[in-house]
Amino acid sequence: MSLQTQLEAYLTRTLGAPAVVTMLSRIPGGASRETYRFDVEVGGEFKRLILRRDPVGSLIDTDRRLEFLAFRSFFGSGLPVPEAVALEEEGAELERPFFIMGRIDGGKAQSPFSMPPYGEHAETIGQQFYSHLGAIAAADPATLPIAQVAPIPALDGCWKKELDYWEGVIDEDEQHPQPIVRACIRRLRANPPPPAQKLSVVHGDYRTGNFMHDGAGKVIALLDWEMAHIGDPLEDLGWAMEPLWCYGETDRVSGMLPKARAIAIWEAASGLKADPAAFAWWELFASVKGQAIWTSAAKEYRAGGFKDPVLGLSGWYTARRQDVILADRLAALEALS
Amino acid sequence: MTPTVPELLMGNFLAMMDPPPVESAGDYMQAKIGVTGMLSLLCAQEAERGIAARTWENTAIRALLAGSAGRYGSRFAEAAAGVDTDLSLAAMDRANAELRTALIDLHIAVEDALDGPLDTQIRALYVKMADARRLDLPPMPAS
Repeated sequence: MSLQTQLEAYLTRTLGAPAVVTMLSRIPGGASRETYRFDVEVGGEFKRLILRRDPVGSLIDTDRRLEFLAFRSFFGSGLPVPEAVALEEEGAELERPFFIMGRIDGGKAQSPFSMPPYGEHAETIGQQFYSHLGAIAAADPATLPIAQVAPIPALDGCWKKELDYWEGVIDEDEQHPQPIVRACIRRLRANPPPPAQKLSVVHGDYRTGNFMHDGAGKVIALLDWEMAHIGDPLEDLGWAMEPLWCYGETDRVSGMLPKARAIAIWEAASGLKADPAAFAWWELFASVKGQAIWTSAAKEYRAGGFKDPVLGLSGWYTARRQDVILADRLAALEALS
Repeated sequence: MTPTVPELLMGNFLAMMDPPPVESAGDYMQAKIGVTGMLSLLCAQEAERGIAARTWENTAIRALLAGSAGRYGSRFAEAAAGVDTDLSLAAMDRANAELRTALIDLHIAVEDALDGPLDTQIRALYVKMADARRLDLPPMPAS
């Protein structure tokens, strides 16, 4: 049975009237979920929707309910976040777990490998990108739907929870010894950051490529919340500025703005401070987390019979680029004494 | 490092072999073909530079381990013994895995001893190791 037929059967059952699906098309990118755009007509009414279905193999192992509730947490909040419409954790007619969300048309998500990614709109997009991230950091997670499922760490436990998780991923998936990332992990453990200023929703993958802009300088959709959790808001800021996401750029973070300006925008929007010492910890952590993800990608590439070239690229080229970043960060740290 | 060049090139073939379902035939397939092309380009770099990078890295790690054995134990001298006689990527990687494991153990011992000079030397080696294995992707223009 084709995906279109399965989708029509599901929507017909849940909407209580015959549903006709058209324009079903898989969207490139996004190795953690299969993503499709489609239109549906039910009783003369048309809707433009997105389907996010669990893949057979994945770059990262994430909880789709958590992602679904992360979208719900910020839809209608003033941030450009699509509406989460339906969640099926058992897969229903589509055989694998999925959720459906509203579609925002008229935009594009830039590849982090593009140079320069945002051209003449870099400054304008950067202003919104870091301001939106500040707004996410400012929200009280306890009042949001994501708190229904996301564990709530202690302020002084955020760093350890994340570092334990991603080190565990490397322990489980590593297929060749990685002395560089191992040394970084030891440095992070030996020099923990101060407790988080507050608990925030952490998007988890807030970066170039995971939002859409309209081509004229306006950010129109914040996407890919599959790694969302509750934690230290500096985690997202460090990930957003990870050098991996600004290919070939040396003087602008995220291919958008000078670092100091990006931090100032985030601080103004969040009401928080990016303490330099604490932020340095989260910057190094971001590079460690990246390497953990690429380590998993390499394992999944093998497990999936080498059929997904995105996993191959991530587990090989991106892993090596991440090693360059990690080694440079490690070399810049103070000497042992 | 994984995956290997033979795996990547076989993967490129396998990725193109199965006809895509109709909903994956448009933008998705175009992007998939682009990524396989990118992988082929990078495999050509690895074929050209990979042996030299591994020869250099294995030699550098052996030298560091051998030079540290006096202070940190004979096991590091034992790990440093040998030379690479089989210069295939697969054989070099097997030797490299053992050397890297010993290097991790040495670095932990160095950190425990608060041996600043050798720690700095190891971190400088990491920079060179990562750079030697670097793959260069041509920048793509923004769409």
